[in-house]
Amino acid sequence: MDKNKHLDSVISTHQITKEETLFDKYVKKKNEVKEALEDKYESDIYSPFNSGSYAKNTAINTKFDFDLVSPFKRNAFGCSGTLKEMYEDVYDFLYEKYKDVAEVKKQKVSIGLEFYADSDGDVIKIDVVPGRELSQDQYKENENLNLYVYYKYGNIDAGSERIKTNVKAQINNIKTRATDEKDSIRKIIRLLKVWKNTKYNYPTKSFFLELITIKAFDNKTITGSIWEKLETVLEYIRDNVTKDSFTLKDPGNSSNDLADTLTSYEKQQLSDDMKNMLDRIRDNDENLKTYFPENSKFKKEESKTNQYGTNSGMPVPPPKLNFG
Amino acid sequence: MILKIEKIGLSLEAELLNKLLEIGKTHYQKEFGGFLIGYYSEDNRHLHITDTVLPKRYQASKYSFERSTEGIENEFTEFYTGTPIKIYIGEWHTHPNNSPIPSATDISAINTIINNKNTSIANPVLLIIGYSKNTVDFGFYVWFENNLYKYD
Repeated sequence: MDKNKHLDSVISTHQITKEETLFDKYVKKKNEVKEALEDKYESDIYSPFNSGSYAKNTAINTKFDFDLVSPFKRNAFGCSGTLKEMYEDVYDFLYEKYKDVAEVKKQKVSIGLEFYADSDGDVIKIDVVPGRELSQDQYKENENLNLYVYYKYGNIDAGSERIKTNVKAQINNIKTRATDEKDSIRKIIRLLKVWKNTKYNYPTKSFFLELITIKAFDNKTITGSIWEKLETVLEYIRDNVTKDSFTLKDPGNSSNDLADTLTSYEKQQLSDDMKNMLDRIRDNDENLKTYFPENSKFKKEESKTNQYGTNSGMPVPPPKLNFG
Repeated sequence: MILKIEKIGLSLEAELLNKLLEIGKTHYQKEFGGFLIGYYSEDNRHLHITDTVLPKRYQASKYSFERSTEGIENEFTEFYTGTPIKIYIGEWHTHPNNSPIPSATDISAINTIINNKNTSIANPVLLIIGYSKNTVDFGFYVWFENNLYKYD
């Protein structure tokens, strides 16, 4: 098996341009939610913006990662309003507005909206990330925000009001590297996202994978074919993520360590997964296809008569289904 | 005993089939159902159905059944991380006092599965158990090449 040919196909079958119709639906829905937030909070909110993988140029077409950061003014929830009150208020609003058309869920730092399948079977997911400026009008100066941590996030405790970050700086940092180094960093990030997408509810955030890929390229000499580059990054994660000294600086606030978004157990799991993956691919090249599947929807292949179709990753049943 | 269907093959233990029937009967006269778990053979020509996952949240009447995945998401992950890797491959439900023929709602459900990006199975299986006090009839269906086929 030609590993490089397969990985090239993984990347090309996951190109976002192949899912333009679905992508347009995401944009439309994102704009609807944005307008709803602006209508509700009027002058208490700055313009919400997308911070997901599309904004960073690292998107794949099986998971769009639309995160709608909603920057609130300092006194939007009263001068003594807490971040918890902000989070709860936004949740209550979104729940009331969308409860009949979507699952509305409290997540780590965001509120997840999963719209029920439309007539084409497309499910649109938008994560709304409420954030508040640190002091009145300060957001206009430097775009820093405080985020609320709803439940335990790696080593960051639930109820923490201390994730201060600059989401626009996060986006720009990754976008610049992914665009400038599109044959290396961008491809590897996309492959790691394809791998993550084969798992259900994997604790490692895409943002973590983006940053650790960039750190691997900054710390190791990574050259050669796409497989050789991927192999080196997988080895780097395997060998470094569990080290006590390992840190991942948040480009939005150098005081934040993204390594804290995973517990020691989750870091060990990530390292073990990298090890198992490398070992099994070394045992048999064909195993690469299990970890990095092509998007079968866009794969040109021979007739499948009398054969079941293959699935890419773990199939997840539709959340609600009616029978008669 | 193994029930076997040739061509694109399907097999499942009679024990599992009886278990589904018994579970379904406990909800008589309402419909009931759940998720089918299994795995494909290496050459993808055969499907082994091995387990079921039951919904924690559902609504049912004599002629309808709506199930949710809420609260049972991890069960699918457990099957997926086991050996052999087992996956969600379809759905089953009962038709009390009726035949195991798919209704328009059932066909629409299959379409939802096919079109759901997260589901990523090309050939979902639908098992309908039609039963009454004295009769039982199983209907196995698979979505294949854009049609719903009944296994012989």
